[in-house]
Amino acid sequence: MIGEMKRVLLLSTLVAGLGAGVSTAAIATDAVGVVDKLHATLLEVMKNAASLGYPGRYQTLEPVTRQSFDFSRIAQVVLGRRNWAGLSEEQQLRFIDTFMRLSTATYAARFDGFNNERFRLVSEETLKEDVHLIKTEIVKASGEAVRLDYVVQVKDDQWLIVNVIADGVSDLALKQADYTSVFRNQGFEALMARMHESIANYEAGR
Amino acid sequence: MDSSNYKHLARVLTVLVVTVPGCATTPNANNGNDDPVEAVNRPVYTFNDGLDNYFIKPIAETYAEYTPEPVREGVTNFFENLTYLNVILNNFLQGKVTRGLSDVGRFAVNSTFGFGGLFDPATAWGIPKHNEDLGQTLGVWGLDELAYLVLPLLGPNSVRDAPDLASSTLLNPLLYISSSVIGPVGVLGIVNKRANLLEQTRLRDEAALDPYVFTREAYRQKRISDIYDGEPPLESLDDFFFEEDDLEQGVLIIE
Repeated sequence: MIGEMKRVLLLSTLVAGLGAGVSTAAIATDAVGVVDKLHATLLEVMKNAASLGYPGRYQTLEPVTRQSFDFSRIAQVVLGRRNWAGLSEEQQLRFIDTFMRLSTATYAARFDGFNNERFRLVSEETLKEDVHLIKTEIVKASGEAVRLDYVVQVKDDQWLIVNVIADGVSDLALKQADYTSVFRNQGFEALMARMHESIANYEAGR
Repeated sequence: MDSSNYKHLARVLTVLVVTVPGCATTPNANNGNDDPVEAVNRPVYTFNDGLDNYFIKPIAETYAEYTPEPVREGVTNFFENLTYLNVILNNFLQGKVTRGLSDVGRFAVNSTFGFGGLFDPATAWGIPKHNEDLGQTLGVWGLDELAYLVLPLLGPNSVRDAPDLASSTLLNPLLYISSSVIGPVGVLGIVNKRANLLEQTRLRDEAALDPYVFTREAYRQKRISDIYDGEPPLESLDDFFFEEDDLEQGVLIIE
């Protein structure tokens, strides 16, 4: 009985927490929407890059990246299923949290100026029933376009990004090779330390 | 056996070694991190990295800082145009006849109206630039990378892609110009190319936890993308999809 009440309380807290998150920024209900929202935020950050500074850009991006990417799934893929299974729940949560902060930090550091770029939707393709490939381009002022493809997948009635393929290079594949190499050769804590170091470097503007 | 028989045998063995082991219907990104020569590649990578950091990169940075953008563009156009005979040949080898013909036109336009390739009127006239090489041709023919290689000075490569170094050099008009010009022009080509890659290497240095692995995977991904001309088959993305039950349930970020 007490256990049941605790579970209900926990659940309602979670739902309320999610609800609080939802009210400030609408959750995308379609596959293209989640990408559009990310792009809109990136443009906002780019246009106000100087006045926001890195901290401001990070603060603006953080709620959006948190809601747009399925970091739980991405983290499991990046580390590899076997490695993931060998971690404690505490380690898994730490990894997801740090990975999310590192991803946001990377965006905040990279999108640090505006030069009349714009994002253009190229097409939407269905890979599987709940998995779509959103093809977009970032078009520079010169007209030169770089392909940015997003793999989005449904999770709990929400479309979330699980992979970004920039100019033919899959970010997930890149990170998986990179992270599993460090994990295998140096261990979990060393990997966490390297991730924290990367975040610190972005914050310091290096 | 006399020498001509040996030559014949060598040729047959080469063909067998090159074509038999890695035959596959679709080259894939080889996500098993299969890197048979890694023990040799890593030291070479470290050597290249050191050479780059202490020597080549500083020169390229200075070049980038003091060379006006239009001049850099001209230099880039010039060297890209020189590779175009190789691009044309490989278009035809891959059966891309329309592209091959378009590229013949592009080479002709840029070499003449573009003043020996310094300018790129072809793009403005709607004749797009393509990227083909012998490694991509072998990839289109079904060959896997066979083994990832890091070559001294040249950097990331593979057993499949290396032969293009020879063929592209032979098809580079610069090779047939007087040897006194090749040296300085060649150096300019290297410095200009390095300058064009400064941003990419900066991003890599920021993001990579293991730069050797990062470079290897980025190279592999780019090659797959290039072989399929920017549209790799969607199956190659399948490796990263798991059914819901395969993943750990209940991992939720609580704010």
